[in-house]
Amino acid sequence: MRLRIKYSKRGRMAFLGHLEMLRLWQRAMRRANLPLAYSSGFNPHPRIAFGSALAVGIESLAEYMDVELTQEIDIEIFRNKLQRELPEGLQLLLVCPIPTKSPALTYVINTAAYKTIWLEKPNKDLLHNKIEKLLAQSSIEITRRGKSGIKKKDIRPGIFNLNISPELDLEMLLQCSSTGSVRPEEVLKALDFDVPAKFIRTGLFIKKDDSLIPPENIAVNMGKVELSEQRNINSG
Amino acid sequence: MKVKVTDELLFDNLLFNVKKPARYLGTEWNSIHKNWDENPVRMVFIYPDLYEVGMSHLGLTILYGLINDRPGMLMERAFAPGPDLEKLLRENNLPLFSLESHRPLIDFDVVGFTLQYEMSYTTILNVLDLAGIPLIASEREINHPLVIGGGPGAANPEPIAPFFDCFLLGDGEEALPEFLTSIDKLKKEGKFNNRKELLTYLAKIPGIYVPSLYDVKYNSEGTVEKVIPLEKNIPERIIKRVVPDLDDIYFPTKPIVPYLDVIHDRIMLEVMRGCSHGCRFCQAGAIYRPVRERDVAVLLRQAQELVRNTGHEEISLTSLSTADYSKVEDLARNLAAAHSEKGVSVSLPSLRVDAFSVRLAESIQKVRKSTLTFAPEAGSQRLRDVINKGVNEEDILTATYEAFKAGWHGIKLYFMLGLPTEKEEDLLGIVDLAERILEQGRKLSRGKKPTVTVNVSSFVPKAQTAFQWEPQDEIEVIKSKQKLLRSKLRKPGLKFNWHEPEVSFIEAVLARGDRRLAPTIMEAWKLGAKLEGWSEFFNFDYWKTAFEKTGIDPAFYANRRRDVKEVFPWEHLDFGVSKKYLKREYQRALDGQITEDCRSGRCIGCGVCSALGVDMVLKGGPQGSAVTD
Repeated sequence: MRLRIKYSKRGRMAFLGHLEMLRLWQRAMRRANLPLAYSSGFNPHPRIAFGSALAVGIESLAEYMDVELTQEIDIEIFRNKLQRELPEGLQLLLVCPIPTKSPALTYVINTAAYKTIWLEKPNKDLLHNKIEKLLAQSSIEITRRGKSGIKKKDIRPGIFNLNISPELDLEMLLQCSSTGSVRPEEVLKALDFDVPAKFIRTGLFIKKDDSLIPPENIAVNMGKVELSEQRNINSG
Repeated sequence: MKVKVTDELLFDNLLFNVKKPARYLGTEWNSIHKNWDENPVRMVFIYPDLYEVGMSHLGLTILYGLINDRPGMLMERAFAPGPDLEKLLRENNLPLFSLESHRPLIDFDVVGFTLQYEMSYTTILNVLDLAGIPLIASEREINHPLVIGGGPGAANPEPIAPFFDCFLLGDGEEALPEFLTSIDKLKKEGKFNNRKELLTYLAKIPGIYVPSLYDVKYNSEGTVEKVIPLEKNIPERIIKRVVPDLDDIYFPTKPIVPYLDVIHDRIMLEVMRGCSHGCRFCQAGAIYRPVRERDVAVLLRQAQELVRNTGHEEISLTSLSTADYSKVEDLARNLAAAHSEKGVSVSLPSLRVDAFSVRLAESIQKVRKSTLTFAPEAGSQRLRDVINKGVNEEDILTATYEAFKAGWHGIKLYFMLGLPTEKEEDLLGIVDLAERILEQGRKLSRGKKPTVTVNVSSFVPKAQTAFQWEPQDEIEVIKSKQKLLRSKLRKPGLKFNWHEPEVSFIEAVLARGDRRLAPTIMEAWKLGAKLEGWSEFFNFDYWKTAFEKTGIDPAFYANRRRDVKEVFPWEHLDFGVSKKYLKREYQRALDGQITEDCRSGRCIGCGVCSALGVDMVLKGGPQGSAVTD
């Protein structure tokens, strides 16, 4: 049985990196006594696969992972057992069965939505102007420090939309896929908007033309999903 | 006055600018956050190194659970911050904080350091400084925390004695709650307002050593003449605490599960305490006596709870020499049967050098690492007898034979260089042994090419051991011996690792030092020394300058042979092993005579059982009975 799980990662949990999260989930599931499927070989590992990695320090309202089980289990029991073993800040939002042959999350997800949490009050007009100016550019070159030195990258094609919410939060829809991603802090830096901010990821999507499909929708098509957490995201 | 690190500051600012912020969260699974106001006795346990090292320490796990289990007391944790966080704290004049409540360390009644190795001493000063606590105990006021220390470093804490209010000698399970209960009582009675009075009171608790209540007199040639209590009613000798039966004592089954990949990221199941081998260089073997084993049924129950409460994937059978544990096969088989289905494996932390250990490892270690490690310690039989290693060449070669046959293709061997009476032929014995094992591997290991890694550390004579009278080789001698080994071990299939001789030299100075070294340690820290267990932080120049500035001749401590009549700086600290026995063992070493393991039933007269009123506790093996010394 394969389950797709959507969860939020709030507060202090934002400071856990990808490997730390992997370890945390493995141990939580073992504590919860769930029938995890293990890889074969000398060092068996539970079959857990994540969606797009989230940078350390960023909170999220929509993280995804797939997990394989050796036997069928009631979804509610699974959810309750697992939630009990999670630290404050990690909340299971959705658990739904998906076909075992479904493509991996990292393969289908290509878009992420973020918003800022301003640490100081921003000036709305100034922000608005800066956004217009940025979106008017046909290319935005930034530099990234990688293992093989400094690289240049044009992030403009990966900025799908920028918007200001009524609460003055900057909402961003950015490319986020195995072929390339734009990071929210890069956008803020390119805006040259000098107000300190934290970021929160508000959604991960499969973008097809102009429509944004949340990864749990594979299961919606199968008619087995709870719809309580469906959210509207600005898709521009 | 330093301000508090608020959650806002930490989580909106500081942690965005440091590596591995998960070190500082404090909300790991099974971490305990007790209410500050409802628990009037508050202690912070500090491991003076980075989080990943400190969270691998069983002593912290035990005491953290033990104290937090008691009503009215709380214990939080703190570690040395990474250099990046330290910089931010210093720039912003912020105090170092505890992990659970993120309070400044200065808010606690007791600040307790574990003394695991000499090279952490400068980090202790750095932590105290970051906490805003005066470094010198005599300069602390009544509202400052009591700074206490415990662990193996308490076997000779004299070089750091001026920085500490008290030390706790021996097992902490009974002594620490007694200590904290006394503090509670004194606080309630309002007697917490005179530091001297407070310390005099605490000095009467068995196992508690208050260094400021003792005066050290020196001879004209620089050695210690005597250590005398400054007041009546203060014990002349402080005797270590020992838990007589581990089955009756608290063991935590809800240990903290770190988020980070710490050094020992697994369940540590303590199968016994103490070791009976009697290796003459080994301080742990001396100060943790006698051997006390836990019952298999107790261990199986603890393991079950530990697996349930942590979700860890590995149970390590922890002790100084787990293959010695009387029921080790029984235990390992039962653990595997109970937990292997859920992907939980059992492992041994180190192997005794014999075929039994290899077969044991083979039978239980389903998760196979490619390398197996043994510690013959010396390259020739003569020298192995001098150190009483109790291992002969046949043991070594059958162990490696079994290992290659079972499919391991890497063998790692630990040796020490500079052992007493060592000659060139003993060093060449290391090379010979490594080559023969490699040859054996080439015949036996199928497919993969065998490798033999030779790890050579430098001998550091330690307090409370049979070799406490011995000099350490001078740095230049160690270097030339390393050079010899390096040249002889430069062959395909052989790998040679060695320790920095300068680090071993500082360890040797501190391990048998006295209080006159405290200003030197302080000076080294002022110059920049900290986190010296990490090679990238160790800088010998700091120490050279510090010795010069404080007028200390380090060779007096490291490279001098002590007269058998010499009074040691740690003479008043009694770990149960008698000096008479150690002297006898020293002489037997020089005569090349071995001394049997007391587990076999023949008491060797080390004096521990009679001095401490305890006995060896073995579960099924032959029971030794102590004779008086």
